[in-house]
Amino acid sequence: MAANDKRIGAALAAATCTLLGNGTPSPAQAADDVNSWDFETALLYYGESDSRVRDISLSALAKRLFEDEKHLDLSLSVDTLTGASPSGAIATGGAQTFTSPSGREVYSTPANEIPLDDTFLDTRVAVSARWTQPFARLYSGSAGASFSTEYDYTHIGADLALSRDFNRRNTTMSAAVAYSQDDIDPVGGAPQALSQMLDVGDLTNRRGAQSKDVMDVLIGMTQVIDRTTLLRINYSFSDSSGYLTDPYKFVSVVDPISGDTLTRSPPSGTQGPGGVYRFESRPDSRTKHGLFLEAKHAFGSKVLDVSYRYMTDDWEIDSQTLDARLRWPLGGVGYLEPHLRYYSQTAADFYRVSLADGEPLPRFASADSRLGDFDAITVGVKFGREMRHGAEWSARIELYRQSADVPDALLIGNQFGRERSLDLNAIIAQISYRFGL
Amino acid sequence: MATPCEVLLELDDAGEARAVAESVARSAWRVEDRFSRYRTDNIVQAINTSAGKPVIVDDETANLLDFAATLHELSGGLFDITSGVLRRAWVFDGHARLPARDDIEALLPLVGWHKVSWRRPVLTLLPDMQLDFGGIGKEYAVDQAIAAVRRDFPVSCLINFGGDLAISHPRQQGLAWRVGVESATGPTSSAAAMIDLYRGALATSGDTHRFILSDGRRYTHILDPRTGWPVEHAPRSVTVCAATCTDAGMLTTMALLHGSRAAEFLESAGVRHWIQH
Repeated sequence: MAANDKRIGAALAAATCTLLGNGTPSPAQAADDVNSWDFETALLYYGESDSRVRDISLSALAKRLFEDEKHLDLSLSVDTLTGASPSGAIATGGAQTFTSPSGREVYSTPANEIPLDDTFLDTRVAVSARWTQPFARLYSGSAGASFSTEYDYTHIGADLALSRDFNRRNTTMSAAVAYSQDDIDPVGGAPQALSQMLDVGDLTNRRGAQSKDVMDVLIGMTQVIDRTTLLRINYSFSDSSGYLTDPYKFVSVVDPISGDTLTRSPPSGTQGPGGVYRFESRPDSRTKHGLFLEAKHAFGSKVLDVSYRYMTDDWEIDSQTLDARLRWPLGGVGYLEPHLRYYSQTAADFYRVSLADGEPLPRFASADSRLGDFDAITVGVKFGREMRHGAEWSARIELYRQSADVPDALLIGNQFGRERSLDLNAIIAQISYRFGL
Repeated sequence: MATPCEVLLELDDAGEARAVAESVARSAWRVEDRFSRYRTDNIVQAINTSAGKPVIVDDETANLLDFAATLHELSGGLFDITSGVLRRAWVFDGHARLPARDDIEALLPLVGWHKVSWRRPVLTLLPDMQLDFGGIGKEYAVDQAIAAVRRDFPVSCLINFGGDLAISHPRQQGLAWRVGVESATGPTSSAAAMIDLYRGALATSGDTHRFILSDGRRYTHILDPRTGWPVEHAPRSVTVCAATCTDAGMLTTMALLHGSRAAEFLESAGVRHWIQH
């Protein structure tokens, strides 16, 4: 029977040829979208200058479209982080020695250089899943979950979102809520806030594992203005509570006149810090508000995407981000996408460069430059090319330059003459490949 | 053709777009005028009122008759352009009116391509027999229209006559035309499948809109000309992708005529297909 059917198929094709008098037409070519997978894989390299942080990550996204516009999105990524980053201590006239985070050994940094902690090497695995589907004619909802784990940190989160279309689908209003719970079990145990860095083997100031939870709410609206323009506006609210401190960062305790770090000697027979350092302390709650505006406009075949974000929180950190991207189709099947981003942030109210000996200890203090004033510019370009059957290659390279601005008010004595902060230069390079099965 | 006909074009020039659309409309009307059984001034009318006398047909009609003859043979008699008279007994409007057995028996003597004498270019039917090109006409019209566009305009165009469609060239930058196949059972705005068409044609046949529901049984409008009754266990909807619309259309019709064996038939015919039950 089957062989018969094949013959019928061929005979039919031949009969059709005769009828249409076309000669042999090219065979048909079609691809089935529904119930097939769409994958995107990417390899990313992030490298900071001066042998600082280096990250290589491999990620894979899988998307499956079902009937009726339902879809499932899955993602997996693996990151390996190496390198050194500032520990919060300031540069001083002599070499400095610190106890490592594990409390088992010491490490030293040269004179007159901002100390970097290079003892971390970590691999992180993260997975997430999201299900999206329409409800009734104009509603769509999604539910997602995420999980990640690394040596000292575990994250688990879930979110729900709902959106509705109005005005013949020219307007979409959406609301989303997310909750996550993170557990941190630092090497050696989380140190007591503002406790002094102790000698090797002394873990009496360590408190074990900690946790935090974060609740995020987002309300947004997307509006089609005309055939070539789209606007989006979002308000976001985020509330974190629990252990928000970085257990590996500390603050130098300095002489109130000279600004030099106080020195000490560990007892004979033991190794330990050569100076007085206190572990940082951040509040146990943080509330953030954000406003995001975005406009997309098509100029012929080119599309410009410009966005602005303003964020403010109860740590007194205010930030602004201005981002612009231009997608520029190139002749055939490729495109070029230059990218420019400007970011500016004001310092947290408990950000300080050092703690002056003799002054009462503040409740919160951190010298982490990520909580300070700084500006950053990113310039980059992405190149993409669509292949047959809807596959696409793309590559992007971005240069990031961050410069911190430590105000004079935070400096004492000799600190004025030394390196105040580290400018950060980084390269981001990524290659990705998108294909369907 | 009693179905909405649309042309989708990928180009910038409004003048050229109008020219393409007019070419497609001309092709469609030409086939409609020549082969519709509802007109009173064409070859089909002449054949259907020939009262048993021989009719000499032109080349295009002869080609279609040759094609119909081949289909009749390949389908083992299931595909038959003389089966249109059975329409007098069957009304497929979703209601529960099954015809009386006697009515069907009375019509069966008028059905059967093997009763027709066809020696190109002379066609002789038995008195009161009727020919109906409806089963081939729409797909044939799509292919004629797309051939004209391909010949005269260097543009990527998709011609869709009520679900039977074909494309002239692939889209710019090698992209595909995205086509949705209507779900036979779900809400009308949903798609059972989304197909990326790079080359070729698609045709869909089924009983989504024309059927009779009686005693909980669904009777498809595809009739078996040997019995006068609907084909049993036919799928609700069959979509086939082939090099031409006529080929695709005939494969869907053949598949439906194979009833419960539709999937098997299409698998061995080696064409991409989507079946909904």
